Amino acid sequence: MSEVNLAQALNGALDTALEADDRVILLGEDIGRTGGVFRITDGLRDKHGEDRVVDTPVAESGIVGAAFGMAIAGLRPVAEIQFLGFSYPAYDQIISHVARIRNRSNHRFTAPLVIRVPFGGGIGAAEHHSESTESIYAHIPGLKVVVPSTPSDARGLLLAAIEDPDPVLFLEPIRLYRAVREEVPDLYFTAEIGPVRVEREGNDVTLISWGAMIKETRAAASALEETGRSVEVLDVRTLSPLDHDGIVASARKTGRVVVVHEAPRHAGLGAEIAAVIQEHALYSLLAPVKRVAGWDTVFPLKRSEGHYLPSVDRIVAAAEETLEA
Amino acid sequence: MEREFRLPDIGEGLTEAEIVRWLVPEGGRVEADQPVVEVETDKAVVEIPSPYGGTVLRHGGAEGETITVGSVLVVIGDESGEQKAPSPHPGPVGAAAPIVGTLSEEAEVLGARDEREAAVADTIKALPIVRKLARDLGVDLTTIEGTGADGRVTREDVLAAVQPETPEIAAVPEVVVVPEPVPAPDTASTEAPAGSPAPAAGEGERRPMTRLRRTIAANMARSWAEIPHVTTFDDVDATRLLEIRSALGERHQVKLPMEALVVKAVIPALQAFPEFNATVEGDDLVVHGRFHVGIAVDAPEGLLVAVMRDADRLGVIELAAEVRRLGDGAKARTLGPDELTGQTFTVSNIGAVGGGHGTPIIPYGTTAILSVGRAREKVVAVDGDLDIVPMMPLSLSYDHRVIDGAQGRRFMALVIENLEEPALFLAG
Amino acid sequence: MFSLINADGTVRDRLPITMEEMRGLYADMVEARTYDHKCMSMQRQGRLATYAPFEGQEAAQIGAAAALMPDDWVAATYRDAALMWRAGYPWRLLIAGRTGDERGGQAPEGVNVLPPSITVGGHMIHAVGLGWAEMLKGTDRVALTSFGDGATSEGDFHEAMNFAAVFHTPTVFLCQNNGFAISLPRSEQTISESIAIKADGYGMPGVQVDGNDVAAVLTVVREALETARSGGGPSLIEAITYRIGPHTTADDPTRYRDEGEAGEWQERDPLTRVRALLERAGGWSQEWQEEIEAAATRRVEEAVAEAEALPPPTAEEMFTRMYDEPTAPLRAQMGEAGR
Repeated sequence: MSEVNLAQALNGALDTALEADDRVILLGEDIGRTGGVFRITDGLRDKHGEDRVVDTPVAESGIVGAAFGMAIAGLRPVAEIQFLGFSYPAYDQIISHVARIRNRSNHRFTAPLVIRVPFGGGIGAAEHHSESTESIYAHIPGLKVVVPSTPSDARGLLLAAIEDPDPVLFLEPIRLYRAVREEVPDLYFTAEIGPVRVEREGNDVTLISWGAMIKETRAAASALEETGRSVEVLDVRTLSPLDHDGIVASARKTGRVVVVHEAPRHAGLGAEIAAVIQEHALYSLLAPVKRVAGWDTVFPLKRSEGHYLPSVDRIVAAAEETLEA
Repeated sequence: MEREFRLPDIGEGLTEAEIVRWLVPEGGRVEADQPVVEVETDKAVVEIPSPYGGTVLRHGGAEGETITVGSVLVVIGDESGEQKAPSPHPGPVGAAAPIVGTLSEEAEVLGARDEREAAVADTIKALPIVRKLARDLGVDLTTIEGTGADGRVTREDVLAAVQPETPEIAAVPEVVVVPEPVPAPDTASTEAPAGSPAPAAGEGERRPMTRLRRTIAANMARSWAEIPHVTTFDDVDATRLLEIRSALGERHQVKLPMEALVVKAVIPALQAFPEFNATVEGDDLVVHGRFHVGIAVDAPEGLLVAVMRDADRLGVIELAAEVRRLGDGAKARTLGPDELTGQTFTVSNIGAVGGGHGTPIIPYGTTAILSVGRAREKVVAVDGDLDIVPMMPLSLSYDHRVIDGAQGRRFMALVIENLEEPALFLAG
Repeated sequence: MFSLINADGTVRDRLPITMEEMRGLYADMVEARTYDHKCMSMQRQGRLATYAPFEGQEAAQIGAAAALMPDDWVAATYRDAALMWRAGYPWRLLIAGRTGDERGGQAPEGVNVLPPSITVGGHMIHAVGLGWAEMLKGTDRVALTSFGDGATSEGDFHEAMNFAAVFHTPTVFLCQNNGFAISLPRSEQTISESIAIKADGYGMPGVQVDGNDVAAVLTVVREALETARSGGGPSLIEAITYRIGPHTTADDPTRYRDEGEAGEWQERDPLTRVRALLERAGGWSQEWQEEIEAAATRRVEEAVAEAEALPPPTAEEMFTRMYDEPTAPLRAQMGEAGR
């Protein structure tokens, strides 16, 4: 047991996976010699060898496509794409091949690979480095999409993703890499892919979020509680498949829901979550479901990030509006 | 025998083709897979081979004529001499022609815009939950003046409207004591039983609810409408409980139902916090001196609550026998009215059907209900180490009019303490 | 361009192939063409969805597949039915796939042939990963990927070639340059002198071979496979051939090419030259020809019957094929679809 941040938890999980399973192989750009652009694979090449922690040429489609072939041939590759904004060259591989080989071969061939991708903004990065386009991936049948927001979930979910018999896109909230610390056991353990994590329980309103926005959502919940409100917070650790039961149970309980995400509002996952709630919990709702999301604009450069990212104030205001309805 | 060959869709979504040239005349012989006709589609001129061998009896159209996909292209006869009515979908074509079967033969002509006036806008402001409550209680929302923000009709407005004008509903509490099976709370994953709106005329079907289902619906609606529910969730480490359960089971050679243990564990909490074993009657809280614990039983007609009278006087093995007896009786419909009514507290074991947490609805006439989910192995931190522990989900709903949050927590804490160390309640 | 048998059946060099092998390759090409004609016919009768014929490319496909070891990997395309079949993929599954049934994509156990790639070019990199994995596992399996001239313009061709060379994977790239990518002629696909020459830029050997010469294709592919198998890395083979038929049954080649050209290529037919060769060597008779044609027809017809006898797929299978276990939302939808 040691207190680690999210980045260290991921590093530890990859180390454990490489140790535990010979089939695990890491490949990506700059992950070996330098330990990756966010140092998530730091030290792993020295420890496990360059055959298992592979620096690849700069070619996202090639990385995912080669990992796909490896997975079919029985390995458990873990590919890293440096930023979600750089993942689109690999989108064809993911949607046309990775996510459908089980279907098109009627289970004869499967692709148990993990594609790790840092995502989200708020760190003042260059253009294309702050994207939060998870919904275009969650829309792909045959692909699981997982987002941890705590160090222990990072470890448990990553090990679960590597064990999973189907392909998993593993999104890592950049802003939280070094912004959260937690005691995480050094043991091999997994967290279940699927269920939401009830971050805190409450009765008056449910705040639903994932990834880096959990931080603001948590702060908003605390602010609301100071005014006497009882707030439930759900961390949607798996964006696909979505935990309908967990979301609906909370919506039924509180009757008031605010979904918070960094991605643009239009066709974002908040829309899907709101739809699931109205399908299954409409008669428990005491107010319309609200969304606090990124605007339908290109993610802005550093100086305008504050205009874009959902703030604690926006979340609190939306929750209060919902509570007054 | 004659066999028809219909024009298939030979492109990708083509609807018709022009006959360019017949390659085999009427009366001529054709082999299977021999080209019989040349047709021109939107995409190309192609030869179409016959699926059967035989004599070309009839061309489906003259050269230069356009025929639609799915219509007869050619009729082929064989030498069997049998005269058989042509089958509309002959042999292999019918069996394997996926496109012919689904492609409409004519392009859909899009109709003119509907010029009728749109329905008059619904000007009543009310949340869906309030609209549903009004519908369940037979209240016409147009007759109510809303007291909420922006003139919204609130739940209170609807309830206020129902009290004076429909006294028969106000008198309904008697239902609790009539020998009608009292339904168990529906803690499954769907909406409350009466939750789905009636299908509009012309779509789906309308089915009368069974008598039992009507009773369930009425009771659910009443509980939900009148009792401000609060539900609190917890998970309890079921390691010891499961150990004791199997040890007792082995000793007594029975499979111990989870209800028996949970009821036994709850009794001390009911004794310590009497408002959980009570009935709200007008402005009074009637606290019961006896402990009749209802358990939810999955009977063929719906969920029933069967009642274990004076559960506090029974040992675990006796409770187990009682759970089994009531379960069998409910399924066989042999239970008497005294066994189906009068509970003072309810335990619902949704774990039996694999459930986890839920938001159980409090049976009318009581103040609380505890739902127990299936214990599942989870990784939890115990004394700084990770352990795999069977965690059993608990969901407690209580009547917020008479029970405060803090009291709810205290009740739950005692239940948890007992379930985590069964010696505490088994000894007592 | 490497070749062994001229279009008239005379040989240029000693054939590294026995008479019996040659007769076997010929019989396989006859069977492949029988299948191809049957599928065209069935599509016109409405029994198959869109079909992409390979007539004219039998030598490139049968020759290449004949060089494989039984458990080598194959990642090929929708026009590679003959190659896939010769590598162990049964006709009945190929036909089932063309009737529009996912069960056709399920290669039998032990047959390491992926379902044909429908998108152009995405599968070449898979053969890199497949070979790479075998290399790491320490087996001597090799991965062969087949694609057309059009696919070499895709970015994935570059990534696959580069990865294979950089990581020295046991991967053989077989380009069947059949002259057209639907309507675009090879001369407008790339102005490179050849496709084989592109291998130079990646640091791997590239060779051009007469794709209508089954003996030459077999020889070249066998050598490339053996090089890869023994740790010598990847190579690129460009087999020059011609697509006699349309791109698919939904295509009209008269819109973009001269029928005379197809006629010229028919004179260089891959079957005719082998027949002439065998005839001259005393390895062919009319009787034997009829025998292998009848056997081919019988096997293809049996495969058609088996494919058409598959019971209709259930809605449930559509859901259960998505993951190892259906997810909760899929289970719920399965219920909705079943209503």
